[in-house]
Amino acid sequence: MSLLAVRLPPLGTVADVPTTQGSVQQSAEPDDSEVARRFVDGDEQALAWAYERWAAQVHGMAVRAFGPGPDAEDVTQQTFISAWTGRSRYRPDQGPLPAWLVGVCRHKIADTWAKRERQRRSTEAAASEARSAPTTGPGSELATEVADRVLLLGELNRIGQPQRSIIELAFFEDLTHAQIAARTGIPLGTVKSHIRRTLERLRDRLEVDGAALRS
Amino acid sequence: MQHCDPDELALAALGEQASPECAAHLADCAECQREVASLRRSVDVLAVPALAAPSQAMAPPPQVWAAIAAATGVAVSPRPAEMEAGLLRGIPMPTPTEVETDVPGSAGSPPAGATVMPFRSRSDRRPATRWLPLAAAVLVGGLIGAGAVAVTQDGAGGAVVAQTGLDPLPEQVASGTAEVRERGGVRELQVDLDVPTLDGSYYEVWLLQADAQRMVPVGIVQQGATVLRLPDGIDLAAFPLVDVSVEPLDGDPTHSGVSVVRGELST
Repeated sequence: MSLLAVRLPPLGTVADVPTTQGSVQQSAEPDDSEVARRFVDGDEQALAWAYERWAAQVHGMAVRAFGPGPDAEDVTQQTFISAWTGRSRYRPDQGPLPAWLVGVCRHKIADTWAKRERQRRSTEAAASEARSAPTTGPGSELATEVADRVLLLGELNRIGQPQRSIIELAFFEDLTHAQIAARTGIPLGTVKSHIRRTLERLRDRLEVDGAALRS
Repeated sequence: MQHCDPDELALAALGEQASPECAAHLADCAECQREVASLRRSVDVLAVPALAAPSQAMAPPPQVWAAIAAATGVAVSPRPAEMEAGLLRGIPMPTPTEVETDVPGSAGSPPAGATVMPFRSRSDRRPATRWLPLAAAVLVGGLIGAGAVAVTQDGAGGAVVAQTGLDPLPEQVASGTAEVRERGGVRELQVDLDVPTLDGSYYEVWLLQADAQRMVPVGIVQQGATVLRLPDGIDLAAFPLVDVSVEPLDGDPTHSGVSVVRGELST
Protein backbone atom coordinates (compact mmCIF):
# COMPACT_ATOMS: atom_id res chain seq x y z
CA MET A 1 0.00 0.00 0.00
CA SER A 2 1.34 3.40 -0.88
CA LEU A 3 1.59 5.66 2.10
CA LEU A 4 0.85 8.55 -0.18
CA ALA A 5 -2.40 7.03 -1.33
CA VAL A 6 -3.83 7.23 2.17
CA ARG A 7 -3.59 10.96 2.54
CA LEU A 8 -6.50 13.15 3.22
CA PRO A 9 -9.58 12.40 1.13
CA PRO A 10 -11.80 13.59 4.02
CA LEU A 11 -10.53 17.15 3.74
CA GLY A 12 -11.98 17.57 0.25
CA THR A 13 -13.76 20.76 1.12
CA VAL A 14 -10.55 22.24 2.43
CA ALA A 15 -8.67 21.33 -0.74
CA ASP A 16 -11.04 23.55 -2.71
CA VAL A 17 -9.48 26.62 -1.14
CA PRO A 18 -7.27 28.24 -3.77
CA THR A 19 -3.61 27.95 -2.86
CA THR A 20 -0.21 27.85 -4.45
CA GLN A 21 0.36 24.74 -6.52
CA GLY A 22 3.91 24.36 -5.29
CA SER A 23 3.05 23.06 -1.89
CA VAL A 24 0.65 20.54 -3.39
CA GLN A 25 3.45 19.24 -5.59
CA GLN A 26 5.88 19.05 -2.73
CA SER A 27 3.61 17.17 -0.41
CA ALA A 28 3.22 14.53 -3.13
CA GLU A 29 6.95 13.78 -3.08
CA PRO A 30 7.80 10.48 -1.41
CA ASP A 31 10.50 10.42 1.22
CA ASP A 32 13.77 8.59 0.62
CA SER A 33 12.71 5.33 2.20
CA GLU A 34 9.56 5.31 0.08
CA VAL A 35 11.68 5.87 -3.02
CA ALA A 36 13.88 2.96 -1.91
CA ARG A 37 10.90 0.70 -1.35
CA ARG A 38 9.43 1.45 -4.76
CA PHE A 39 12.86 1.15 -6.37
CA VAL A 40 13.19 -2.39 -5.04
CA ASP A 41 9.65 -3.12 -6.22
CA GLY A 42 10.71 -2.19 -9.74
CA ASP A 43 8.60 0.97 -9.98
CA GLU A 44 10.13 2.90 -12.90
CA GLN A 45 9.19 6.23 -11.36
CA ALA A 46 11.44 5.39 -8.42
CA LEU A 47 14.45 5.11 -10.74
CA ALA A 48 13.75 8.65 -11.99
CA TRP A 49 13.32 9.90 -8.40
CA ALA A 50 16.56 8.26 -7.33
CA TYR A 51 18.30 9.85 -10.28
CA GLU A 52 16.85 13.28 -9.49
CA ARG A 53 18.00 13.05 -5.91
CA TRP A 54 21.39 11.34 -6.07
CA ALA A 55 22.79 11.40 -9.61
CA ALA A 56 24.61 14.67 -8.92
CA GLN A 57 26.45 13.13 -5.94
CA VAL A 58 27.26 9.97 -7.88
CA HIS A 59 28.43 11.95 -10.90
CA GLY A 60 30.50 14.20 -8.65
CA MET A 61 32.38 11.08 -7.47
CA ALA A 62 32.86 9.85 -11.03
CA VAL A 63 34.19 13.23 -12.16
CA ARG A 64 36.52 13.35 -9.18
CA ALA A 65 37.97 9.98 -10.24
CA PHE A 66 38.19 10.50 -14.01
CA GLY A 67 37.60 14.17 -14.73
CA PRO A 68 34.61 15.38 -16.72
CA GLY A 69 34.00 13.37 -19.88
CA PRO A 70 33.01 9.99 -21.24
CA ASP A 71 34.60 7.85 -18.49
CA ALA A 72 32.82 9.73 -15.69
CA GLU A 73 29.54 9.71 -17.61
CA ASP A 74 29.93 5.99 -18.19
CA VAL A 75 30.48 5.39 -14.45
CA THR A 76 27.36 7.36 -13.50
CA GLN A 77 25.32 5.64 -16.18
CA GLN A 78 26.59 2.17 -15.21
CA THR A 79 25.95 2.89 -11.52
CA PHE A 80 22.25 3.52 -12.11
CA ILE A 81 21.81 0.76 -14.69
CA SER A 82 23.54 -1.73 -12.44
CA ALA A 83 21.63 -0.60 -9.34
CA TRP A 84 18.36 -0.91 -11.23
CA THR A 85 19.00 -4.33 -12.72
CA GLY A 86 20.52 -5.55 -9.45
CA ARG A 87 17.96 -3.90 -7.19
CA SER A 88 17.04 -7.20 -5.56
CA ARG A 89 20.48 -7.10 -3.92
CA TYR A 90 19.70 -3.86 -2.09
CA ARG A 91 19.05 -4.50 1.60
CA PRO A 92 17.25 -1.64 3.35
CA ASP A 93 18.43 -2.89 6.73
CA GLN A 94 22.04 -2.33 5.66
CA GLY A 95 21.60 1.39 5.01
CA PRO A 96 19.78 3.99 2.94
CA LEU A 97 19.47 3.60 -0.84
CA PRO A 98 21.76 6.57 -1.64
CA ALA A 99 24.56 5.06 0.45
CA TRP A 100 24.12 1.84 -1.52
CA LEU A 101 24.30 3.78 -4.78
CA VAL A 102 27.57 5.32 -3.63
CA GLY A 103 28.86 1.79 -2.96
CA VAL A 104 27.81 0.69 -6.46
CA CYS A 105 29.56 3.78 -7.86
CA ARG A 106 32.78 2.78 -6.05
CA HIS A 107 32.63 -0.59 -7.79
CA LYS A 108 32.13 1.07 -11.16
CA ILE A 109 35.10 3.37 -10.54
CA ALA A 110 37.27 0.40 -9.55
CA ASP A 111 36.03 -1.59 -12.56
CA THR A 112 36.89 1.30 -14.86
CA TRP A 113 40.43 1.46 -13.46
CA ALA A 114 40.77 -2.29 -13.96
CA LYS A 115 39.49 -2.02 -17.52
CA ARG A 116 41.92 0.79 -18.30
CA GLU A 117 44.73 -1.24 -16.83
CA ARG A 118 43.85 -4.27 -18.96
CA GLN A 119 43.76 -2.08 -22.04
CA ARG A 120 47.10 -0.58 -21.15
CA ARG A 121 48.65 -4.00 -20.68
CA SER A 122 47.29 -5.40 -23.87
CA THR A 123 48.56 -2.38 -25.76
CA GLU A 124 51.89 -2.81 -24.04
CA ALA A 125 51.92 -6.53 -24.76
CA ALA A 126 51.24 -5.91 -28.41
CA ALA A 127 54.03 -3.35 -28.48
CA SER A 128 56.53 -5.66 -26.74
CA GLU A 129 55.58 -8.55 -28.95
CA ALA A 130 56.49 -6.36 -31.86
CA ARG A 131 59.81 -5.68 -30.13
CA SER A 132 60.20 -9.31 -28.90
CA ALA A 133 60.65 -8.03 -25.36
CA PRO A 134 59.27 -9.44 -22.09
CA THR A 135 55.97 -7.94 -20.95
CA THR A 136 56.64 -7.67 -17.25
CA GLY A 137 57.92 -4.42 -15.93
CA PRO A 138 56.72 -1.22 -14.35
CA GLY A 139 52.98 -1.09 -14.09
CA SER A 140 52.48 -4.57 -12.64
CA GLU A 141 52.28 -3.04 -9.18
CA LEU A 142 49.50 -0.81 -10.44
CA ALA A 143 47.81 -3.84 -11.96
CA THR A 144 47.94 -5.60 -8.59
CA GLU A 145 46.45 -2.60 -6.87
CA VAL A 146 43.52 -2.15 -9.24
CA ALA A 147 42.71 -5.87 -9.06
CA ASP A 148 42.91 -5.90 -5.26
CA ARG A 149 40.63 -2.89 -5.10
CA VAL A 150 37.91 -4.72 -7.00
CA LEU A 151 38.40 -7.76 -4.77
CA LEU A 152 38.24 -5.82 -1.50
CA LEU A 153 35.21 -3.72 -2.49
CA GLY A 154 33.46 -7.02 -3.12
CA GLU A 155 34.51 -8.26 0.32
CA LEU A 156 33.25 -5.04 1.95
CA ASN A 157 29.80 -5.80 0.54
CA ARG A 158 29.75 -9.05 2.44
CA ILE A 159 30.48 -7.45 5.81
CA GLY A 160 27.41 -6.92 7.97
CA GLN A 161 26.45 -3.86 9.95
CA PRO A 162 27.63 -2.14 12.01
CA GLN A 163 31.11 -3.34 11.04
CA ARG A 164 30.78 -2.20 7.46
CA SER A 165 29.68 1.32 8.31
CA ILE A 166 32.48 1.61 10.83
CA ILE A 167 35.20 0.67 8.36
CA GLU A 168 33.60 2.80 5.65
CA LEU A 169 33.66 5.83 7.92
CA ALA A 170 37.38 5.15 8.49
CA PHE A 171 38.22 4.48 4.85
CA PHE A 172 35.94 6.84 2.99
CA GLU A 173 35.24 9.66 5.42
CA ASP A 174 38.68 9.61 6.99
CA LEU A 175 37.33 9.59 10.54
CA THR A 176 39.39 8.48 13.51
CA HIS A 177 38.05 5.72 15.74
CA ALA A 178 37.14 8.35 18.33
CA GLN A 179 35.18 10.34 15.74
CA ILE A 180 33.43 7.17 14.60
CA ALA A 181 32.45 6.38 18.17
CA ALA A 182 31.12 9.91 18.62
CA ARG A 183 29.27 9.83 15.31
CA THR A 184 27.62 6.45 15.86
CA GLY A 185 27.26 6.27 19.62
CA ILE A 186 29.09 2.94 19.58
CA PRO A 187 31.55 2.56 22.49
CA LEU A 188 35.18 3.31 21.69
CA GLY A 189 36.41 -0.18 22.56
CA THR A 190 33.78 -1.78 20.33
CA VAL A 191 34.72 0.48 17.42
CA LYS A 192 38.38 -0.44 17.86
CA SER A 193 37.79 -4.17 17.92
CA HIS A 194 35.45 -3.99 14.91
CA ILE A 195 38.13 -2.09 13.00
CA ARG A 196 40.75 -4.70 13.87
CA ARG A 197 38.59 -7.64 12.93
CA THR A 198 37.55 -6.05 9.65
CA LEU A 199 41.15 -5.23 8.69
CA GLU A 200 42.11 -8.82 9.54
CA ARG A 201 39.28 -10.10 7.41
CA LEU A 202 40.33 -7.94 4.45
CA ARG A 203 43.94 -9.07 4.90
CA ASP A 204 42.83 -12.71 4.86
CA ARG A 205 40.91 -12.08 1.68
CA LEU A 206 44.01 -10.59 0.04
CA GLU A 207 46.15 -13.47 1.23
CA VAL A 208 43.77 -16.02 -0.25
CA ASP A 209 42.77 -14.28 -3.48
CA GLY A 210 44.99 -11.22 -3.80
CA ALA A 211 46.45 -10.34 -7.17
CA ALA A 212 50.01 -10.36 -5.82
CA LEU A 213 49.81 -14.11 -5.23
CA ARG A 214 48.28 -14.89 -8.57
CA SER A 215 50.73 -12.94 -10.70
CA MET B 1 58.43 -8.24 25.99
CA GLN B 2 54.88 -6.96 25.95
CA HIS B 3 53.57 -6.57 22.39
CA CYS B 4 51.13 -3.87 21.39
CA ASP B 5 47.44 -4.45 21.82
CA PRO B 6 46.16 -5.83 18.48
CA ASP B 7 43.45 -3.14 18.34
CA GLU B 8 46.17 -0.49 18.62
CA LEU B 9 48.06 -2.03 15.74
CA ALA B 10 44.93 -1.91 13.59
CA LEU B 11 44.54 1.79 14.37
CA ALA B 12 48.20 2.33 13.47
CA ALA B 13 47.49 0.62 10.13
CA LEU B 14 44.76 3.20 9.57
CA GLY B 15 47.31 5.93 10.18
CA GLU B 16 46.09 6.86 13.65
CA GLN B 17 48.47 7.78 16.41
CA ALA B 18 49.15 4.77 18.61
CA SER B 19 49.24 5.19 22.37
CA PRO B 20 52.66 6.34 23.64
CA GLU B 21 53.50 2.89 25.07
CA CYS B 22 52.56 1.14 21.84
CA ALA B 23 54.37 3.72 19.70
CA ALA B 24 57.53 3.21 21.76
CA HIS B 25 57.28 -0.56 21.47
CA LEU B 26 56.42 -0.45 17.77
CA ALA B 27 59.58 1.47 16.97
CA ASP B 28 61.68 -1.55 18.01
CA CYS B 29 59.47 -4.58 17.37
CA ALA B 30 59.73 -6.15 13.92
CA GLU B 31 56.83 -8.48 14.62
CA CYS B 32 54.41 -5.66 15.46
CA GLN B 33 55.69 -3.68 12.46
CA ARG B 34 54.94 -6.62 10.16
CA GLU B 35 51.44 -6.87 11.60
CA VAL B 36 50.79 -3.18 10.92
CA ALA B 37 52.18 -3.48 7.39
CA SER B 38 50.01 -6.49 6.60
CA LEU B 39 46.88 -4.75 7.89
CA ARG B 40 47.76 -1.58 6.03
CA ARG B 41 47.52 -3.15 2.60
CA SER B 42 43.70 -2.90 2.46
CA VAL B 43 43.87 0.66 3.79
CA ASP B 44 46.28 1.62 0.99
CA VAL B 45 44.06 -0.01 -1.60
CA LEU B 46 40.69 1.37 -0.47
CA ALA B 47 41.27 4.59 1.45
CA VAL B 48 42.05 6.60 -1.67
CA PRO B 49 40.55 10.01 -2.46
CA ALA B 50 38.81 8.79 -5.61
CA LEU B 51 36.69 6.38 -3.55
CA ALA B 52 35.98 8.79 -0.70
CA ALA B 53 32.45 9.80 0.23
CA PRO B 54 30.92 12.23 -2.27
CA SER B 55 32.20 15.74 -1.75
CA GLN B 56 31.23 17.76 -4.78
CA ALA B 57 27.91 17.30 -6.53
CA MET B 58 27.88 17.74 -10.28
CA ALA B 59 24.90 17.47 -12.59
CA PRO B 60 25.41 14.72 -15.16
CA PRO B 61 24.82 15.79 -18.77
CA PRO B 62 21.46 14.80 -20.31
CA GLN B 63 22.90 11.96 -22.40
CA VAL B 64 23.60 10.02 -19.18
CA TRP B 65 19.91 9.66 -18.41
CA ALA B 66 19.19 8.96 -22.08
CA ALA B 67 21.60 6.01 -21.94
CA ILE B 68 20.10 4.74 -18.66
CA ALA B 69 16.58 4.97 -20.09
CA ALA B 70 17.70 3.14 -23.23
CA ALA B 71 19.40 0.37 -21.26
CA THR B 72 16.62 -0.14 -18.72
CA GLY B 73 13.65 0.61 -20.96
CA VAL B 74 12.07 2.95 -18.42
CA ALA B 75 9.68 5.49 -19.90
CA VAL B 76 9.74 8.12 -17.15
CA SER B 77 12.18 11.03 -16.96
CA PRO B 78 13.78 12.98 -14.15
CA ARG B 79 12.46 16.54 -13.77
CA PRO B 80 14.99 19.33 -14.38
CA ALA B 81 13.89 21.29 -11.31
CA GLU B 82 14.37 18.25 -9.10
CA MET B 83 17.77 17.60 -10.67
CA GLU B 84 18.72 21.13 -9.62
CA ALA B 85 17.57 20.40 -6.10
CA GLY B 86 19.64 17.20 -6.16
CA LEU B 87 22.79 19.30 -6.41
CA LEU B 88 22.16 20.45 -2.86
CA ARG B 89 21.41 17.06 -1.40
CA GLY B 90 23.73 15.08 0.79
CA ILE B 91 24.10 11.33 0.95
CA PRO B 92 22.82 9.97 4.24
CA MET B 93 25.14 7.29 5.53
CA PRO B 94 23.98 4.21 7.40
CA THR B 95 23.92 4.93 11.11
CA PRO B 96 25.07 1.78 12.81
CA THR B 97 23.92 0.94 16.28
CA GLU B 98 25.95 -0.57 19.03
CA VAL B 99 24.16 -3.86 18.53
CA GLU B 100 26.82 -6.54 18.60
CA THR B 101 26.25 -8.60 15.51
CA ASP B 102 29.09 -11.00 16.03
CA VAL B 103 28.20 -12.44 19.40
CA PRO B 104 27.30 -16.13 19.20
CA GLY B 105 23.76 -16.76 18.09
CA SER B 106 23.09 -13.27 16.86
CA ALA B 107 24.97 -13.21 13.57
CA GLY B 108 23.42 -10.80 11.14
CA SER B 109 22.54 -7.19 11.15
CA PRO B 110 20.94 -4.77 13.54
CA PRO B 111 17.23 -4.17 13.27
CA ALA B 112 16.19 -2.18 10.24
CA GLY B 113 16.38 1.52 10.79
CA ALA B 114 17.63 1.19 14.33
CA THR B 115 19.79 4.09 15.37
CA VAL B 116 21.08 5.72 18.47
CA MET B 117 18.34 8.31 18.28
CA PRO B 118 15.00 7.21 19.65
CA PHE B 119 12.72 8.63 16.98
CA ARG B 120 14.68 7.80 13.88
CA SER B 121 12.92 4.63 12.84
CA ARG B 122 9.57 6.35 13.00
CA SER B 123 10.57 9.44 11.09
CA ASP B 124 12.41 7.32 8.53
CA ARG B 125 9.19 5.69 7.52
CA ARG B 126 7.29 8.93 7.52
CA PRO B 127 6.07 10.00 4.11
CA ALA B 128 6.52 13.50 2.79
CA THR B 129 9.62 14.16 4.86
CA ARG B 130 11.00 16.42 2.19
CA TRP B 131 8.52 19.20 2.51
CA LEU B 132 8.32 19.21 6.29
CA PRO B 133 11.65 20.96 6.88
CA LEU B 134 10.77 23.61 4.33
CA ALA B 135 7.39 24.26 5.80
CA ALA B 136 8.89 24.35 9.26
CA ALA B 137 11.56 26.81 8.24
CA VAL B 138 9.02 29.12 6.66
CA LEU B 139 6.80 28.93 9.67
CA VAL B 140 9.52 29.43 12.22
CA GLY B 141 10.60 32.50 10.31
CA GLY B 142 7.10 33.86 10.43
CA LEU B 143 6.53 33.04 14.03
CA ILE B 144 9.59 34.46 15.67
CA GLY B 145 8.36 36.96 18.14
CA ALA B 146 4.76 36.07 17.50
CA GLY B 147 4.00 34.54 20.85
CA ALA B 148 4.56 36.67 23.88
CA VAL B 149 6.51 35.01 26.63
CA ALA B 150 4.17 34.60 29.52
CA VAL B 151 4.56 32.56 32.61
CA THR B 152 1.26 32.98 34.33
CA GLN B 153 0.12 31.26 37.44
CA ASP B 154 -3.09 29.39 36.89
CA GLY B 155 -4.58 27.88 39.99
CA ALA B 156 -6.41 25.13 38.14
CA GLY B 157 -3.98 24.03 35.43
CA GLY B 158 -0.56 25.03 36.74
CA ALA B 159 1.95 27.52 35.37
CA VAL B 160 2.07 28.18 31.67
CA VAL B 161 5.66 27.44 30.72
CA ALA B 162 5.37 27.66 26.94
CA GLN B 163 2.80 28.67 24.39
CA THR B 164 2.21 29.40 20.75
CA GLY B 165 -0.41 30.30 18.24
CA LEU B 166 -1.10 27.55 15.71
CA ASP B 167 -1.12 28.80 12.14
CA PRO B 168 -2.52 26.96 9.14
CA LEU B 169 -0.14 25.33 6.71
CA PRO B 170 -0.58 26.18 3.03
CA GLU B 171 -3.95 25.05 1.66
CA GLN B 172 -5.34 24.38 5.14
CA VAL B 173 -8.22 26.19 6.80
CA ALA B 174 -7.59 25.73 10.49
CA SER B 175 -6.17 27.60 13.44
CA GLY B 176 -5.62 27.26 17.13
CA THR B 177 -3.40 27.79 20.12
CA ALA B 178 -1.24 25.53 22.23
CA GLU B 179 0.21 25.93 25.69
CA VAL B 180 2.28 23.82 28.02
CA ARG B 181 1.46 23.99 31.70
CA GLU B 182 3.46 22.55 34.54
CA ARG B 183 2.27 21.55 37.95
CA GLY B 184 4.14 19.40 40.42
CA GLY B 185 6.69 18.34 37.82
CA VAL B 186 4.02 17.13 35.41
CA ARG B 187 3.63 18.97 32.12
CA GLU B 188 0.48 19.06 30.07
CA LEU B 189 -0.12 20.30 26.56
CA GLN B 190 -3.42 22.03 25.95
CA VAL B 191 -4.42 22.40 22.34
CA ASP B 192 -7.36 24.59 21.32
CA LEU B 193 -8.33 23.95 17.74
CA ASP B 194 -10.71 25.39 15.23
CA VAL B 195 -10.63 22.77 12.50
CA PRO B 196 -12.94 21.13 9.93
CA THR B 197 -14.81 17.98 10.96
CA LEU B 198 -13.20 14.81 9.69
CA ASP B 199 -14.70 11.57 8.47
CA GLY B 200 -12.58 8.43 8.56
CA SER B 201 -9.52 10.20 9.92
CA TYR B 202 -8.54 12.09 13.04
CA TYR B 203 -6.27 14.85 14.30
CA GLU B 204 -3.07 14.05 16.12
CA VAL B 205 -0.70 16.48 17.82
CA TRP B 206 3.07 16.07 17.65
CA LEU B 207 6.11 17.84 19.02
CA LEU B 208 8.67 18.29 16.25
CA GLN B 209 12.29 19.23 16.18
CA ALA B 210 12.91 22.61 14.60
CA ASP B 211 14.04 20.92 11.38
CA ALA B 212 11.06 18.54 11.52
CA GLN B 213 13.37 15.57 11.15
CA ARG B 214 12.24 13.89 14.37
CA MET B 215 9.03 14.03 16.28
CA VAL B 216 7.15 12.75 19.27
CA PRO B 217 3.45 11.91 19.05
CA VAL B 218 1.58 13.44 21.98
CA GLY B 219 -1.95 12.29 21.34
CA ILE B 220 -5.28 12.64 19.64
CA VAL B 221 -6.91 16.06 19.54
CA GLN B 222 -10.21 17.41 18.27
CA GLN B 223 -12.17 20.58 17.65
CA GLY B 224 -12.12 22.68 20.82
CA ALA B 225 -9.80 22.12 23.75
CA THR B 226 -7.83 18.95 24.48
CA VAL B 227 -5.39 18.50 27.36
CA LEU B 228 -2.70 15.84 27.05
CA ARG B 229 0.07 14.87 29.40
CA LEU B 230 3.56 15.26 27.93
CA PRO B 231 6.14 12.51 28.25
CA ASP B 232 8.26 13.11 31.33
CA GLY B 233 11.66 14.51 30.52
CA ILE B 234 10.92 15.69 27.00
CA ASP B 235 13.06 18.71 26.17
CA LEU B 236 10.82 21.38 24.69
CA ALA B 237 13.86 23.26 23.44
CA ALA B 238 14.74 20.21 21.34
CA PHE B 239 11.14 19.69 20.17
CA PRO B 240 9.78 23.22 19.95
CA LEU B 241 7.22 22.82 17.15
CA VAL B 242 3.63 21.91 17.90
CA ASP B 243 2.18 20.21 14.84
CA VAL B 244 -1.34 18.92 14.28
CA SER B 245 -1.77 16.37 11.52
CA VAL B 246 -4.64 14.55 9.89
CA GLU B 247 -4.15 10.82 10.38
CA PRO B 248 -6.11 8.29 8.37
CA LEU B 249 -7.44 5.23 10.22
CA ASP B 250 -5.01 2.99 8.40
CA GLY B 251 -3.13 1.53 11.31
CA ASP B 252 0.10 3.29 10.37
CA PRO B 253 1.34 5.02 13.54
CA THR B 254 3.71 7.38 11.73
CA HIS B 255 3.00 10.97 10.79
CA SER B 256 0.83 11.10 7.68
CA GLY B 257 2.78 14.04 6.32
CA VAL B 258 -0.44 16.08 6.21
CA SER B 259 -0.26 18.85 8.78
CA VAL B 260 -3.03 21.37 9.26
CA VAL B 261 -1.56 23.81 11.78
CA ARG B 262 1.81 24.40 13.34
CA GLY B 263 3.46 26.77 15.76
CA GLU B 264 6.69 27.21 17.66
CA LEU B 265 6.56 27.15 21.43
CA SER B 266 8.02 30.19 23.08
CA THR B 267 9.24 29.46 26.57
